[in-house]
Amino acid sequence: MTANSTTGNGGGAARAMAGAPCIVRYQGVIKRFGAFTALNGVDLDVHAGEVVCLIGPSGSGKSTLLRCTNGLETIDGGAIEFEGATLPRDERALRAMRRRMGMVFQSFELFPHFTALQNVAEGPRTVLGQSAVAADARAKALLAKVGLADKAASYPSALSGGQQQRVAIARALAMEPDVMLFDEPTSALDPETIGEVLNVMKALAEEGMTMVVVTHEMTFARRVGDWIAVFDAGRIVEQGVPNQIFDAPATDRTRDFLSHLGWTG
Amino acid sequence: MDFDLSVITDHARFLASGVGVTLALAALSGVTSLVLGLVVALLRLYGPRGLRHVVVLYIDSMRAIPVLVVLVWTFFALPIVTGLTMPPFAAALIGLTIHLAAYAAEIIRAGIESVRPGQTRAAVALGMSPAQAVRRIVLPQAVVRTLPAFGSLLSITIKDTAIASVIAVPELMRQSETVAGQSFQPIEVYTFAMLVYFLMLFPVTRGVDRIYRRVAHLGRS
Amino acid sequence: MTLDWSVVWQHRDALLAGTATTVLLTFATMAIAVPCGIVVAVLRLYGPAPVRAVATAYVELFRNLPLILVVFWAFYVLPIWTGLSGLSPLATGLAALALNVTAYNAETFRAGINSIRRGQVEAAMALGMSRLQALRRVIVPQAVRRITPVLASTWVSLFKDTSLVSVIAVTELAYSAMQVRAQTFRVLEMLTAMAAIYWLLGYPQAKLVDWIQRRYAVTE
Repeated sequence: MTANSTTGNGGGAARAMAGAPCIVRYQGVIKRFGAFTALNGVDLDVHAGEVVCLIGPSGSGKSTLLRCTNGLETIDGGAIEFEGATLPRDERALRAMRRRMGMVFQSFELFPHFTALQNVAEGPRTVLGQSAVAADARAKALLAKVGLADKAASYPSALSGGQQQRVAIARALAMEPDVMLFDEPTSALDPETIGEVLNVMKALAEEGMTMVVVTHEMTFARRVGDWIAVFDAGRIVEQGVPNQIFDAPATDRTRDFLSHLGWTG
Repeated sequence: MDFDLSVITDHARFLASGVGVTLALAALSGVTSLVLGLVVALLRLYGPRGLRHVVVLYIDSMRAIPVLVVLVWTFFALPIVTGLTMPPFAAALIGLTIHLAAYAAEIIRAGIESVRPGQTRAAVALGMSPAQAVRRIVLPQAVVRTLPAFGSLLSITIKDTAIASVIAVPELMRQSETVAGQSFQPIEVYTFAMLVYFLMLFPVTRGVDRIYRRVAHLGRS
Repeated sequence: MTLDWSVVWQHRDALLAGTATTVLLTFATMAIAVPCGIVVAVLRLYGPAPVRAVATAYVELFRNLPLILVVFWAFYVLPIWTGLSGLSPLATGLAALALNVTAYNAETFRAGINSIRRGQVEAAMALGMSRLQALRRVIVPQAVRRITPVLASTWVSLFKDTSLVSVIAVTELAYSAMQVRAQTFRVLEMLTAMAAIYWLLGYPQAKLVDWIQRRYAVTE
């Protein structure tokens, strides 16, 4: 039984046999924006503890899939399951699910009128109803974890891009999610600060967090990813383990994409 | 509530003449305030220091004094100072010009300052003189960027002509007052006036929006 | 031409009373127009389609009419529509001003809320916040920063616009000054005094607005 696949549920059988439950399952997901079909039948499984990296050209649907995962976009066909339950259409039920998913945006989207500490504590306070004391304590601990304990009282405008993104990661982690969704987390960063964010993500992966990462950082995908899905024009053209995808891509599209990135392995 | 439209039709020509005066006053004061505003803006940006302070004082004063006060003073008080009698239309034109030029100057100044300094540097690097750079590169971009604000100012200009009714300029507002007073049918007359003003003003803002959307890219650097 | 500036001092009571009415009108109008503007803006942003249409029509109507006409129209029409024939000029003037400023405020609030990047709403919702929570905790605090300078500017415009209710004999500053002029025939003195008083009151307000705009300048 091969551990890679160009069709189907992504070698799900082999990965499921490892015993980890399926946290997110995409089945034939279709998403249209007017006349444009952004997702044209996507099948993918994300198991607990896995780091799944979505790679591919711009506009191929990677970010769209991520945004459909937590309901920021609604799908037009197929199904998305989260921890065994289909993603609801009802806003209230969707909100409950969102609490168990963490999202990190390309543009960080920290709340500019809150300090770093307040940003991280905002979720637990407003959404989970925790007391200020408890939320602040947890926020402090998380900021320390991402290496920004000394920036707790700083406003986002005083932080570099890499620092802001680390705070954004801490903010998402404060909700104690079962899966972290990263939408091109380093695409808007200066090269010097990309590393600090990737290191935080790597540490998170090593702790066993389930992660779905849309990224152009191929080195990261190769070293930290457990499963790679290659997107093109709204479909997954190939998915498999990093070694196979990067060293021996099975499809021309994948080869083209990697060579365009100057990927020499 | 009965709407007797005959009062409108009976006085159609009278009211129409009012519309003509409104448009004429708006157009003329629009042009004169633009010219004066340009002079004032350039003085403020590039003029000698002493003159700059005077200009700023003038601009801020027009932000503080209502149009009504300016018009009334121009019509009633200025003749006493100058010894010259002044017809209402002229007084309104002068008053509106003085008041609106301050706002026009600020719009122009903001527009010029919003053009990136890199543009001037690039022009100078090509060998242009500062005056050429302003004329060929900065002002055209500033013009495009200020279109929405000028559209708004045009709208205000038309509305302010109605205040000229207070100094007996026979524009639409004044004519409406006359008809309403004589016919004792103020509701029909003033509602009609509202309709006419709305039809004059609504296309102005919409039209400026449309034009701006098409040319906006010319001002983006 | 002989000038007698003492007339101004002799009638200072009338002028002061007029000034007080001007200030009162400004405050009262804003006290009505800010909450009403918020309501209209919210209806326009989040209401069902027919409500949104009505709110938009209201805003577009009053932004495209001269205020002086609205004042006259209110004077003649409002008593009939509301059935209150004993409506004082002051109340009518206040109503006309409030109708006008509410429309401008509604547009200010709507634009302020819309100017907040969509990503902010998404980040809030990704945390699991409801739309209301996102509005309260993330959107409104940021919108307030953008709205405050515009509101300050509207305030100064309103202060000047109160002079227009003089046409229906509301005894604010302009009317009071022109009454004294009519009584004493001291045209140049009274009109200059009127302009000077407006200047004294309006100039600091304009400078304050400048300060507010600098302080609340938004850098993206």
